[in-house]
Amino acid sequence: MPITELSKNELCDTGIEELDVMLGGGIPTGSTVLVVGSSGSGKTTLCMQYLINGAKKGERGVFFTITEPLFKLTKNMEGFEFYDKKLIESGMVNLIDLRIISERLGLDTEKYTVEDASALLDILRDIADELNVKRLVIDSITALCYRLQTPEMIRDFIFKLGSSLAAMKCTTLLTSEVPPRKFQYSQYGIEEFISDGIMFLGDIERKGDLIRTFQLVKMRGAAHSRTKSAMSISTKNGVELAPLLKSRE
Amino acid sequence: MVNVLIDGLKERISNAIKINQSIGIILPASNYPDLVQALFERINSTPEEAWVYVTVTKPCDNILSQFEFLKDSKNIKFVDCISRAAGINKANDNCIFVESPTMLEKIGLEIINIFKEVDENVKKYLVIDSLTNLIIYNDPDIVTEFFYHIINRTRTKNIHTISLAIEEEELDKYLTRLIYLNDKILKVRDSFI
Repeated sequence: MPITELSKNELCDTGIEELDVMLGGGIPTGSTVLVVGSSGSGKTTLCMQYLINGAKKGERGVFFTITEPLFKLTKNMEGFEFYDKKLIESGMVNLIDLRIISERLGLDTEKYTVEDASALLDILRDIADELNVKRLVIDSITALCYRLQTPEMIRDFIFKLGSSLAAMKCTTLLTSEVPPRKFQYSQYGIEEFISDGIMFLGDIERKGDLIRTFQLVKMRGAAHSRTKSAMSISTKNGVELAPLLKSRE
Repeated sequence: MVNVLIDGLKERISNAIKINQSIGIILPASNYPDLVQALFERINSTPEEAWVYVTVTKPCDNILSQFEFLKDSKNIKFVDCISRAAGINKANDNCIFVESPTMLEKIGLEIINIFKEVDENVKKYLVIDSLTNLIIYNDPDIVTEFFYHIINRTRTKNIHTISLAIEEEELDKYLTRLIYLNDKILKVRDSFI
Protein backbone atom coordinates (compact mmCIF):
# COMPACT_ATOMS: atom_id res chain seq x y z
CA MET A 1 0.00 0.00 0.00
CA PRO A 2 1.56 3.34 -0.97
CA ILE A 3 1.93 6.05 1.66
CA THR A 4 -0.84 8.47 0.92
CA GLU A 5 -3.04 10.50 3.16
CA LEU A 6 -5.91 8.22 4.06
CA SER A 7 -9.37 9.57 4.64
CA LYS A 8 -11.01 9.17 8.03
CA ASN A 9 -13.15 6.24 6.91
CA GLU A 10 -10.05 4.39 5.68
CA LEU A 11 -8.57 4.60 9.18
CA CYS A 12 -9.42 2.66 12.29
CA ASP A 13 -8.72 4.93 15.24
CA THR A 14 -7.58 3.19 18.40
CA GLY A 15 -9.21 5.78 20.66
CA ILE A 16 -5.87 6.21 22.43
CA GLU A 17 -5.34 9.86 21.62
CA GLU A 18 -1.54 10.03 21.44
CA LEU A 19 -1.34 6.75 19.50
CA ASP A 20 -3.80 7.98 16.90
CA VAL A 21 -1.71 11.13 16.49
CA MET A 22 1.39 8.93 15.92
CA LEU A 23 -0.56 6.91 13.37
CA GLY A 24 -1.76 9.99 11.50
CA GLY A 25 -5.35 9.33 12.55
CA GLY A 26 -5.51 5.57 13.02
CA ILE A 27 -4.52 2.16 11.70
CA PRO A 28 -5.24 1.75 7.97
CA THR A 29 -8.50 -0.22 7.91
CA GLY A 30 -8.08 -3.94 7.28
CA SER A 31 -4.49 -4.08 8.52
CA THR A 32 -3.08 -6.87 10.65
CA VAL A 33 -0.92 -5.42 13.39
CA LEU A 34 1.44 -7.23 15.71
CA VAL A 35 1.41 -5.91 19.29
CA VAL A 36 4.74 -7.08 20.66
CA GLY A 37 5.87 -7.19 24.28
CA SER A 38 7.06 -9.32 27.13
CA SER A 39 4.85 -10.53 29.94
CA GLY A 40 3.19 -7.61 31.77
CA SER A 41 4.02 -5.06 29.10
CA GLY A 42 0.37 -4.08 28.55
CA LYS A 43 -0.47 -5.91 25.30
CA THR A 44 -3.82 -7.26 26.49
CA THR A 45 -4.87 -3.94 28.04
CA LEU A 46 -4.01 -2.00 24.87
CA CYS A 47 -5.92 -4.49 22.71
CA MET A 48 -8.98 -4.48 24.97
CA GLN A 49 -8.99 -0.68 25.08
CA TYR A 50 -8.86 -0.68 21.25
CA LEU A 51 -11.92 -2.97 21.08
CA ILE A 52 -13.90 -1.13 23.75
CA ASN A 53 -13.17 2.28 22.17
CA GLY A 54 -14.35 0.90 18.83
CA ALA A 55 -17.52 -0.53 20.36
CA LYS A 56 -18.29 2.82 21.99
CA LYS A 57 -18.51 4.33 18.52
CA GLY A 58 -20.56 1.46 17.13
CA GLU A 59 -17.87 -0.86 15.72
CA ARG A 60 -18.37 -4.43 16.80
CA GLY A 61 -15.31 -6.34 17.95
CA VAL A 62 -14.16 -9.80 18.98
CA PHE A 63 -11.39 -10.82 21.35
CA PHE A 64 -10.04 -14.36 20.97
CA THR A 65 -8.03 -15.45 23.97
CA ILE A 66 -5.81 -18.47 24.08
CA THR A 67 -3.55 -17.47 26.97
CA GLU A 68 -5.97 -16.97 29.85
CA PRO A 69 -9.49 -18.10 30.74
CA LEU A 70 -12.28 -15.62 30.13
CA PHE A 71 -13.14 -15.19 33.82
CA LYS A 72 -9.56 -14.11 34.53
CA LEU A 73 -9.50 -11.78 31.56
CA THR A 74 -12.74 -10.03 32.55
CA LYS A 75 -11.70 -9.85 36.21
CA ASN A 76 -8.46 -8.10 35.24
CA MET A 77 -10.25 -5.71 32.92
CA GLU A 78 -13.05 -4.76 35.33
CA GLY A 79 -10.64 -2.52 37.24
CA PHE A 80 -10.21 -0.21 34.26
CA GLU A 81 -12.59 2.72 33.87
CA PHE A 82 -12.65 2.30 30.07
CA TYR A 83 -14.04 -1.24 30.45
CA ASP A 84 -17.79 -1.28 30.04
CA LYS A 85 -19.46 -4.56 30.94
CA LYS A 86 -22.59 -3.56 29.05
CA LEU A 87 -20.65 -3.63 25.77
CA ILE A 88 -19.79 -7.28 26.45
CA GLU A 89 -23.34 -8.16 27.47
CA SER A 90 -24.81 -6.43 24.42
CA GLY A 91 -22.45 -8.30 22.08
CA MET A 92 -20.65 -5.20 20.86
CA VAL A 93 -17.47 -6.79 22.20
CA ASN A 94 -17.38 -10.58 22.06
CA LEU A 95 -14.96 -12.52 24.21
CA ILE A 96 -14.18 -16.01 22.95
CA ASP A 97 -11.90 -18.67 24.42
CA LEU A 98 -10.10 -20.26 21.46
CA ARG A 99 -9.23 -23.35 23.48
CA ILE A 100 -12.91 -24.10 23.98
CA ILE A 101 -13.52 -23.63 20.24
CA SER A 102 -10.63 -26.02 19.49
CA GLU A 103 -12.10 -28.59 21.85
CA ARG A 104 -15.55 -28.26 20.30
CA LEU A 105 -14.04 -28.70 16.85
CA GLY A 106 -12.38 -31.84 18.14
CA LEU A 107 -8.90 -30.45 17.48
CA ASP A 108 -5.82 -31.56 19.35
CA THR A 109 -5.39 -28.59 21.69
CA GLU A 110 -1.60 -28.93 21.79
CA LYS A 111 -0.62 -29.51 18.13
CA TYR A 112 -2.56 -28.61 15.01
CA THR A 113 -2.31 -30.52 11.77
CA VAL A 114 -2.70 -28.69 8.46
CA GLU A 115 -6.37 -29.72 8.46
CA ASP A 116 -6.84 -28.51 12.04
CA ALA A 117 -5.30 -25.15 11.18
CA SER A 118 -7.55 -24.85 8.17
CA ALA A 119 -10.65 -25.70 10.24
CA LEU A 120 -9.66 -23.14 12.85
CA LEU A 121 -9.06 -20.50 10.21
CA ASP A 122 -12.50 -21.17 8.76
CA ILE A 123 -14.17 -20.82 12.13
CA LEU A 124 -12.33 -17.56 12.89
CA ARG A 125 -13.42 -16.16 9.53
CA ASP A 126 -16.99 -17.36 10.02
CA ILE A 127 -17.25 -15.79 13.46
CA ALA A 128 -15.85 -12.48 12.19
CA ASP A 129 -18.22 -12.57 9.24
CA GLU A 130 -21.33 -13.58 11.17
CA LEU A 131 -20.80 -11.03 13.89
CA ASN A 132 -19.84 -8.42 11.28
CA VAL A 133 -16.87 -7.33 13.37
CA LYS A 134 -14.68 -4.41 12.37
CA ARG A 135 -12.07 -5.02 15.06
CA LEU A 136 -10.52 -8.34 15.99
CA VAL A 137 -7.87 -9.36 18.51
CA ILE A 138 -6.03 -12.66 18.96
CA ASP A 139 -4.25 -12.89 22.31
CA SER A 140 -1.79 -14.34 21.59
CA ILE A 141 -0.63 -15.29 18.11
CA THR A 142 2.47 -16.77 19.81
CA ALA A 143 0.37 -19.34 21.66
CA LEU A 144 -1.45 -20.13 18.43
CA CYS A 145 1.78 -20.43 16.44
CA TYR A 146 3.12 -22.78 19.10
CA ARG A 147 0.39 -25.21 18.04
CA LEU A 148 1.23 -24.87 14.35
CA GLN A 149 4.04 -27.24 13.62
CA THR A 150 6.13 -25.63 10.88
CA PRO A 151 7.15 -22.11 9.84
CA GLU A 152 5.23 -22.66 6.59
CA MET A 153 2.03 -23.37 8.53
CA ILE A 154 2.52 -20.25 10.61
CA ARG A 155 3.14 -18.11 7.52
CA ASP A 156 0.18 -19.61 5.72
CA PHE A 157 -2.16 -19.23 8.70
CA ILE A 158 -1.37 -15.58 9.39
CA PHE A 159 -1.38 -14.67 5.70
CA LYS A 160 -4.77 -16.26 5.05
CA LEU A 161 -6.27 -14.88 8.25
CA GLY A 162 -5.00 -11.36 7.48
CA SER A 163 -6.19 -11.49 3.86
CA SER A 164 -9.70 -12.64 4.64
CA LEU A 165 -10.15 -10.18 7.50
CA ALA A 166 -8.83 -7.35 5.32
CA ALA A 167 -11.47 -8.25 2.74
CA MET A 168 -14.08 -7.79 5.48
CA LYS A 169 -12.49 -4.42 6.35
CA CYS A 170 -11.73 -5.80 9.77
CA THR A 171 -8.64 -4.39 11.52
CA THR A 172 -6.78 -7.03 13.51
CA LEU A 173 -4.37 -6.88 16.43
CA LEU A 174 -2.29 -9.98 17.16
CA THR A 175 -0.35 -10.01 20.41
CA SER A 176 3.16 -11.41 20.21
CA GLU A 177 5.01 -12.57 23.30
CA VAL A 178 8.76 -11.98 23.41
CA PRO A 179 11.32 -12.37 26.20
CA PRO A 180 11.98 -9.23 28.28
CA ARG A 181 14.66 -6.76 27.19
CA LYS A 182 15.09 -8.35 23.76
CA PHE A 183 14.48 -6.30 20.66
CA GLN A 184 12.71 -9.02 18.73
CA TYR A 185 9.22 -8.93 17.37
CA SER A 186 8.12 -12.52 17.56
CA GLN A 187 8.97 -15.95 18.87
CA TYR A 188 9.13 -17.60 15.45
CA GLY A 189 10.59 -14.78 13.35
CA ILE A 190 7.80 -15.01 10.79
CA GLU A 191 4.88 -13.13 12.26
CA GLU A 192 6.37 -9.66 11.69
CA PHE A 193 6.87 -10.21 7.96
CA ILE A 194 3.26 -11.15 7.37
CA SER A 195 1.90 -8.31 9.49
CA ASP A 196 1.18 -4.82 8.17
CA GLY A 197 2.20 -3.12 11.36
CA ILE A 198 4.26 -3.59 14.49
CA MET A 199 3.72 -1.91 17.87
CA PHE A 200 6.55 -2.63 20.28
CA LEU A 201 5.90 -2.42 24.02
CA GLY A 202 9.12 -2.41 25.99
CA ASP A 203 10.75 -0.77 28.96
CA ILE A 204 13.85 1.11 29.92
CA GLU A 205 15.56 1.21 33.27
CA ARG A 206 15.95 4.56 34.97
CA LYS A 207 17.70 4.60 38.34
CA GLY A 208 16.50 1.06 38.95
CA ASP A 209 12.88 1.76 38.03
CA LEU A 210 11.31 0.37 34.87
CA ILE A 211 9.69 2.94 32.58
CA ARG A 212 7.23 1.45 30.10
CA THR A 213 7.91 2.38 26.48
CA PHE A 214 5.97 2.21 23.23
CA GLN A 215 7.28 2.35 19.68
CA LEU A 216 5.45 2.17 16.38
CA VAL A 217 7.99 0.23 14.35
CA LYS A 218 6.02 -0.34 11.16
CA MET A 219 2.66 0.53 9.68
CA ARG A 220 2.22 -0.17 5.99
CA GLY A 221 0.41 2.57 4.14
CA ALA A 222 0.81 5.19 6.84
CA ALA A 223 3.42 7.91 7.31
CA HIS A 224 3.71 7.29 11.03
CA SER A 225 5.98 8.48 13.79
CA ARG A 226 8.73 6.07 14.88
CA THR A 227 9.57 7.99 18.05
CA LYS A 228 9.84 6.01 21.24
CA SER A 229 7.23 7.11 23.79
CA ALA A 230 6.77 6.54 27.48
CA MET A 231 3.70 4.45 28.18
CA SER A 232 1.52 4.61 31.24
CA ILE A 233 -1.21 2.19 32.30
CA SER A 234 -3.67 3.40 34.89
CA THR A 235 -7.07 2.20 35.99
CA LYS A 236 -8.49 5.66 35.25
CA ASN A 237 -7.17 6.17 31.72
CA GLY A 238 -5.91 2.78 30.59
CA VAL A 239 -3.00 3.09 28.17
CA GLU A 240 -1.59 6.59 27.64
CA LEU A 241 1.51 7.73 25.81
CA ALA A 242 3.81 10.68 26.45
CA PRO A 243 7.06 11.82 24.82
CA LEU A 244 9.94 9.82 26.29
CA LEU A 245 12.62 11.96 27.90
CA LYS A 246 15.78 11.06 26.11
CA SER A 247 18.62 12.66 28.06
CA ARG A 248 21.56 10.39 28.77
CA GLU A 249 21.04 8.45 31.98
CA MET B 1 7.28 37.99 62.93
CA VAL B 2 6.39 34.75 61.14
CA ASN B 3 3.09 36.17 59.94
CA VAL B 4 4.88 39.17 58.48
CA LEU B 5 7.23 36.82 56.65
CA ILE B 6 4.40 34.71 55.31
CA ASP B 7 2.28 37.68 54.32
CA GLY B 8 5.29 39.17 52.55
CA LEU B 9 5.90 35.94 50.64
CA LYS B 10 2.24 35.64 49.70
CA GLU B 11 2.24 39.14 48.31
CA ARG B 12 5.41 38.61 46.29
CA ILE B 13 4.15 35.34 44.81
CA SER B 14 0.72 36.81 44.01
CA ASN B 15 2.21 39.85 42.32
CA ALA B 16 4.72 37.83 40.31
CA ILE B 17 2.27 35.20 39.09
CA LYS B 18 -0.22 37.87 38.04
CA ILE B 19 2.09 39.17 35.33
CA ASN B 20 4.26 36.12 34.54
CA GLN B 21 3.38 32.75 33.06
CA SER B 22 6.03 30.94 35.09
CA ILE B 23 8.00 31.86 38.16
CA GLY B 24 10.93 30.13 39.81
CA ILE B 25 11.50 30.63 43.51
CA ILE B 26 15.00 30.12 44.88
CA LEU B 27 15.08 29.89 48.63
CA PRO B 28 17.28 28.74 51.46
CA ALA B 29 16.12 25.58 53.24
CA SER B 30 15.39 27.62 56.37
CA ASN B 31 12.67 29.55 54.51
CA TYR B 32 11.03 26.50 52.97
CA PRO B 33 8.35 25.99 55.70
CA ASP B 34 7.30 29.65 55.49
CA LEU B 35 7.12 29.57 51.72
CA VAL B 36 4.92 26.48 51.52
CA GLN B 37 2.66 27.93 54.20
CA ALA B 38 2.38 31.13 52.16
CA LEU B 39 1.57 29.10 49.05
CA PHE B 40 -1.07 26.98 50.72
CA GLU B 41 -2.70 30.01 52.35
CA ARG B 42 -2.77 31.68 48.93
CA ILE B 43 -4.36 28.58 47.40
CA ASN B 44 -6.94 28.32 50.15
CA SER B 45 -7.92 31.95 49.81
CA THR B 46 -8.71 31.63 46.08
CA PRO B 47 -11.26 28.82 45.70
CA GLU B 48 -12.12 30.01 42.19
CA GLU B 49 -8.65 28.95 40.92
CA ALA B 50 -7.43 25.42 40.12
CA TRP B 51 -4.10 24.28 41.52
CA VAL B 52 -2.00 21.17 40.98
CA TYR B 53 0.73 20.67 43.55
CA VAL B 54 3.49 18.22 42.61
CA THR B 55 5.27 17.11 45.74
CA VAL B 56 8.65 15.46 45.63
CA THR B 57 9.51 16.76 49.08
CA LYS B 58 6.85 15.61 51.54
CA PRO B 59 4.17 12.94 51.28
CA CYS B 60 0.75 14.40 50.59
CA ASP B 61 -0.54 12.91 53.84
CA ASN B 62 2.05 14.86 55.84
CA ILE B 63 1.14 18.07 54.06
CA LEU B 64 -2.57 17.58 54.78
CA SER B 65 -1.86 16.80 58.43
CA GLN B 66 0.19 19.97 58.75
CA PHE B 67 -2.20 22.21 56.81
CA GLU B 68 -5.58 20.88 57.90
CA PHE B 69 -7.47 23.65 56.11
CA LEU B 70 -6.45 22.00 52.81
CA LYS B 71 -8.44 18.86 53.59
CA ASP B 72 -11.68 20.58 52.57
CA SER B 73 -10.18 22.51 49.67
CA LYS B 74 -11.74 21.65 46.34
CA ASN B 75 -9.32 23.70 44.27
CA ILE B 76 -6.12 21.73 44.87
CA LYS B 77 -5.04 18.31 43.63
CA PHE B 78 -1.76 16.73 44.61
CA VAL B 79 0.57 14.63 42.50
CA ASP B 80 2.56 12.79 45.15
CA CYS B 81 5.82 11.39 43.76
CA ILE B 82 7.33 10.39 47.06
CA SER B 83 4.88 8.33 49.15
CA ARG B 84 4.89 5.16 47.09
CA ALA B 85 8.68 5.20 46.76
CA ALA B 86 8.87 5.60 50.54
CA GLY B 87 6.53 2.67 51.11
CA ILE B 88 3.60 4.81 52.29
CA ASN B 89 0.41 3.29 50.92
CA LYS B 90 -2.33 5.59 52.23
CA ALA B 91 -5.01 6.45 49.68
CA ASN B 92 -6.39 9.94 49.23
CA ASP B 93 -9.09 11.13 46.85
CA ASN B 94 -7.39 14.46 46.40
CA CYS B 95 -4.10 12.96 45.44
CA ILE B 96 -2.66 10.98 42.55
CA PHE B 97 0.29 8.83 43.48
CA VAL B 98 3.19 8.29 41.09
CA GLU B 99 5.27 5.23 41.92
CA SER B 100 8.61 6.99 41.85
CA PRO B 101 10.08 10.47 41.23
CA THR B 102 12.04 8.89 38.35
CA MET B 103 8.80 8.41 36.40
CA LEU B 104 8.91 11.92 35.02
CA GLU B 105 6.76 11.24 31.97
CA LYS B 106 4.05 9.83 34.24
CA ILE B 107 4.24 12.96 36.41
CA GLY B 108 3.76 15.08 33.28
CA LEU B 109 0.79 12.98 32.15
CA GLU B 110 -0.93 13.22 35.52
CA ILE B 111 -0.52 17.01 35.60
CA ILE B 112 -2.09 17.41 32.18
CA ASN B 113 -4.86 14.91 32.93
CA ILE B 114 -5.91 16.81 36.07
CA PHE B 115 -6.01 20.13 34.20
CA LYS B 116 -8.02 18.53 31.36
CA GLU B 117 -10.92 18.17 33.80
CA VAL B 118 -10.84 21.84 34.77
CA ASP B 119 -13.16 24.31 33.05
CA GLU B 120 -11.40 26.31 30.35
CA ASN B 121 -12.23 29.65 31.99
CA VAL B 122 -10.77 28.79 35.38
CA LYS B 123 -7.28 30.14 36.16
CA LYS B 124 -4.86 27.25 36.46
CA TYR B 125 -1.67 27.00 38.46
CA LEU B 126 0.98 24.32 38.83
CA VAL B 127 3.47 24.10 41.69
CA ILE B 128 6.58 21.90 41.45
CA ASP B 129 7.99 21.26 44.92
CA SER B 130 10.82 20.99 44.18
CA LEU B 131 13.30 20.96 41.32
CA THR B 132 16.03 20.32 43.89
CA ASN B 133 14.48 17.04 44.94
CA LEU B 134 13.78 15.98 41.35
CA ILE B 135 17.52 16.36 40.73
CA ILE B 136 18.32 14.23 43.75
CA TYR B 137 16.29 11.33 42.32
CA ASN B 138 17.18 11.84 38.64
CA ASP B 139 20.02 12.75 36.36
CA PRO B 140 20.08 16.61 36.14
CA ASP B 141 19.94 16.53 32.31
CA ILE B 142 16.73 14.55 32.28
CA VAL B 143 15.17 16.90 34.85
CA THR B 144 16.08 19.82 32.56
CA GLU B 145 14.41 18.05 29.62
CA PHE B 146 11.35 17.30 31.76
CA PHE B 147 11.14 20.90 32.92
CA TYR B 148 11.42 22.18 29.32
CA HIS B 149 8.50 19.94 28.38
CA ILE B 150 6.42 21.07 31.35
CA ILE B 151 7.12 24.77 30.84
CA ASN B 152 6.30 24.57 27.13
CA ARG B 153 3.22 22.40 27.56
CA THR B 154 1.77 24.50 30.38
CA ARG B 155 2.42 27.70 28.40
CA THR B 156 0.36 26.43 25.48
CA LYS B 157 -2.46 25.60 27.87
CA ASN B 158 -2.26 28.89 29.74
CA ILE B 159 -1.28 27.24 33.01
CA HIS B 160 0.87 29.31 35.35
CA THR B 161 3.82 27.47 36.85
CA ILE B 162 5.58 28.02 40.16
CA SER B 163 8.71 25.93 40.64
CA LEU B 164 10.66 25.82 43.86
CA ALA B 165 14.41 25.38 44.12
CA ILE B 166 15.99 25.01 47.50
CA GLU B 167 19.53 26.33 47.55
CA GLU B 168 21.99 23.51 47.73
CA GLU B 169 25.65 24.17 47.06
CA GLU B 170 26.35 20.94 45.22
CA LEU B 171 23.35 21.31 42.93
CA ASP B 172 23.62 25.02 42.24
CA LYS B 173 24.95 24.76 38.68
CA TYR B 174 22.07 22.49 37.65
CA LEU B 175 19.43 24.51 39.48
CA THR B 176 20.62 27.75 37.92
CA ARG B 177 20.24 26.27 34.44
CA LEU B 178 16.77 24.99 35.29
CA ILE B 179 15.29 27.86 37.20
CA TYR B 180 16.19 30.39 34.50
CA LEU B 181 13.77 28.72 32.12
CA ASN B 182 11.09 30.60 34.04
CA ASP B 183 9.85 34.06 33.06
CA LYS B 184 10.58 35.48 36.49
CA ILE B 185 12.88 34.47 39.35
CA LEU B 186 12.14 35.29 42.96
CA LYS B 187 15.01 34.95 45.38
CA VAL B 188 13.80 34.59 48.92
CA ARG B 189 15.94 36.15 51.62
CA ASP B 190 14.74 37.23 55.05
CA SER B 191 16.10 40.69 54.34
CA PHE B 192 13.98 41.03 51.19
CA ILE B 193 10.67 40.50 52.94
